Amino acid sequence: MRLIVNGASHEVAAPDHERLLTTLRERLHLTGTKLVCGRGECGACTVLLDGAPAYSCLTLTAACDGREVATIEGLAHDGTLHSVQRAFIDHDALQCGFCTPGQILAAVALLERQPHPTEDDVRRGMSGNLCRCGAYPKIVRAVLAAAEGESHDG
Amino acid sequence: MAKRFVTTKVEVEGREETKVVELPTREPEPWGDDASLHIVGRRDKRMDALEKVRGEAEYTADVQLPGMLYVALKRAGVAAGRITSLDLGPALALPGVRGALTTEDVQGIKLDGVQLFDQTIHYAGQPIVAICADTLEIAERALREIRVEVEPRPHAIDAAAALAPDAPRVKPHGNTHRASPRIVSRGDLEAGLREADVTITREYRTPVALHTALEPHGAVAAWSGERVTVWESTQGIFNTRADLAEAFELPLSSVRVVKNYMGGGFGAKNGASFAAYTAVALSRKLHRPVRCIFDREGEQTDAGNRTATTQRVTLAARRDGTLTAISLDATIPLGIGGWLSSPARMYSEMYRCANVRTSETFVFTNTAPMASFRAPGNVEGAFGLESAMDVLARELEIDPLELRRRNYADHDQDKDRRYSAKHLDECYRLGAERFGWSRARSRKRDADARVRRGVGMASLCWGAGGGPPAYATVRINGDGSIEVLTGAQDLGTGARTVMAQIAAEVLGAKLEDVRTVLGDTERLPFASNSWGSITTASVGPAVRVAAEEARDALFEAAAGMLDAEPGDLESRDGEIHAKSNDKCLLIREVCEKLGDVMIIGQGSRGPNPEKTALSAFGAQFAEVEVDTWTGRVRVLRIVSAHDSGRIVNPTLAESQLEGGIIQGVGYALFEERVLDARTGLPLNPTMHDYKIPTVADVPKIDAFFIDIPDTVANHTGVKGVAEPPIIPTAPAIANAVLDAIGVEMAEIPLTPWRVLGG
Repeated sequence: MRLIVNGASHEVAAPDHERLLTTLRERLHLTGTKLVCGRGECGACTVLLDGAPAYSCLTLTAACDGREVATIEGLAHDGTLHSVQRAFIDHDALQCGFCTPGQILAAVALLERQPHPTEDDVRRGMSGNLCRCGAYPKIVRAVLAAAEGESHDG
Repeated sequence: MAKRFVTTKVEVEGREETKVVELPTREPEPWGDDASLHIVGRRDKRMDALEKVRGEAEYTADVQLPGMLYVALKRAGVAAGRITSLDLGPALALPGVRGALTTEDVQGIKLDGVQLFDQTIHYAGQPIVAICADTLEIAERALREIRVEVEPRPHAIDAAAALAPDAPRVKPHGNTHRASPRIVSRGDLEAGLREADVTITREYRTPVALHTALEPHGAVAAWSGERVTVWESTQGIFNTRADLAEAFELPLSSVRVVKNYMGGGFGAKNGASFAAYTAVALSRKLHRPVRCIFDREGEQTDAGNRTATTQRVTLAARRDGTLTAISLDATIPLGIGGWLSSPARMYSEMYRCANVRTSETFVFTNTAPMASFRAPGNVEGAFGLESAMDVLARELEIDPLELRRRNYADHDQDKDRRYSAKHLDECYRLGAERFGWSRARSRKRDADARVRRGVGMASLCWGAGGGPPAYATVRINGDGSIEVLTGAQDLGTGARTVMAQIAAEVLGAKLEDVRTVLGDTERLPFASNSWGSITTASVGPAVRVAAEEARDALFEAAAGMLDAEPGDLESRDGEIHAKSNDKCLLIREVCEKLGDVMIIGQGSRGPNPEKTALSAFGAQFAEVEVDTWTGRVRVLRIVSAHDSGRIVNPTLAESQLEGGIIQGVGYALFEERVLDARTGLPLNPTMHDYKIPTVADVPKIDAFFIDIPDTVANHTGVKGVAEPPIIPTAPAIANAVLDAIGVEMAEIPLTPWRVLGG
């Protein structure tokens, strides 16, 4: 089975019942994707599957044969951070950082769908990603700022 | 010669301890209001944010070692009982299973008073055996092959059941902690009650709340010879080291505890965890690195919790609002173990009152042990006291804020000592102003509307002064880069950043040239647990002293190069400047000339001032909307004003305030561990069923600091910020609900049925 992860092709010999989260963390050693609830309740394991957000804890690796997976490790290009990563730093949109990879990928996907979201759009769009430290107000600010920045660039 | 070692008082989580302290080599002048500071107080970015947004920060769960084995834990499915037979044969025979751990392997090692893997079952979810295998999947599959027979026994899962006359024995020596009832009183309660014009008595209940840190408890252990290295998600690397060394009978120097990053603690990770003992024991037994991480259900079941409380409160006052008596009778079920976190502290400290009596009964129950949880005791106590204060305000027809102002405590009445500083009055003034309190209070209420709005407020106090011992080392490398070394922890609070800011301030260095190294017992000097909101106030002064010592050495080295005296030098933005002749050199240039000379400064935290209470204060204001048809409460906005002394980094400190308030919103509205009354099994050990706030639940928050340095507390002027904001949130919200619908809320969380049931 072949996975394209962050643009690189990987042959993986995962059993049929293995979930994508396990494959990423244990086989490919991409530990940026976090296991928190393991059952689709918290969003910490969010990755992009062919550009769309997916809970990697509920995704079977076998269903990803030939598909493109983007994880937090692949988001920066040639050392340049993605605008959402930059905005999370600038707005202090993280504390312990454990939910951050999932939050960032969820935000990237949200902005793909809705390049100019309102605050309500962001609150709705990000409500599947839990943060126990309570960085939410600054996460909202960061996502809006990233959207703003992108519209300026474009 | 002056004494080198003295004793001092340090308050942590409401407990005051006497500590020995080695007097620092120097005690700098306090940074007062007029101190000219450039980096301390600046809104610098979190210094470890880059690793975090790139997914490169290494948490305990991310540690992968060659040959590492995985652990799964079998947990008890009854709340009380005895294991009558345990057959591991079929489980151990599975391919890939490498071994097991039972109580025989860890005899004498206890956690919260319970022998590890005890054959007696004290609570549902108690681990009874560990299986170790090549993969987690194999270990989990092997759990299903364990043949265990359990003889259930009667259990008591709440205080009422444990205190009943025919209650089953939860602990051999009885169902109440030997300190119960813990009675603290001052003045004459009866006289105070007689003096009063108005007396109210109410009963309040608070739930068991779960920390729900996103990174669960977990550890990786690897032995090498007679020494073991342990990666653990912990708030206290040195506490963890001491616990493990004692349990495994090793010298402290043979245990290395490492923690680079952690995914939340909130008080539940203060020493060696069950996972750490298990990983260390299995790694020793199997001669392989072993990783033991709680699964989510284990984390929500058996990783600490905030105790429930029942608080019977009497407040008595004169017509003008002056409190004449405060009485509290509290019952606090601890679970099978824990410590005596005290709701009474709020009652005896928050308001001026001559006659106070508090009584606390701590009860053992057949439930998982409690643990510290962000401002333990004061959060629970604040709900009872501050709710009762609003009831009293209504009886007296006095504005709730005015009632609190009329009972302003100007000193620590319990111990009859001064406060190092107290600016709660400023918090009241500025908080009310930014909230628009008087306008909101005087707004006309529409008694017929389906959705009604109301406002409420509450106060807080919290002993957040920190103290010794704490040590720091500052090293200046040959290229001018600087390292701050201290054995403290950054839980996500920003400790890495603020320590670097303090060092950069003193050295006149650029902040980007300073790096803080935390979290390794083998390489760093001692700092205590990061708990009790004490880290910045404890470790910051040690960093300042270390940086001053390093700066003095640097200036001595630079003096000759600049044809000046050391006392003639000053530094700023990475440049050393001689005032007499205007010559300049970059710190980097000086260091390059020094070659391999390493400038090292050592610093330690000095004693706390004598007969002085070191407390943080604040006031919080909430506006809510209550749907009288559905009972749904929505928090619209919260204004929170805080006095925590000097703020080293306002951005990071405000993040702490927002986080505390949001956890407080969860505590007020959603969060409650639910046990099955019949079996004692947890019914909501998932993140779907135990509701923590999502981004959609967050109100508009305006949280800020008074930011007046407390120069009596310590020479940086800092007090703690992490715990205070969660203390007043639930009562402020409940008081706003009372204001909105005229119904008193006696129990949180304010779920729709409780609001409708009144």
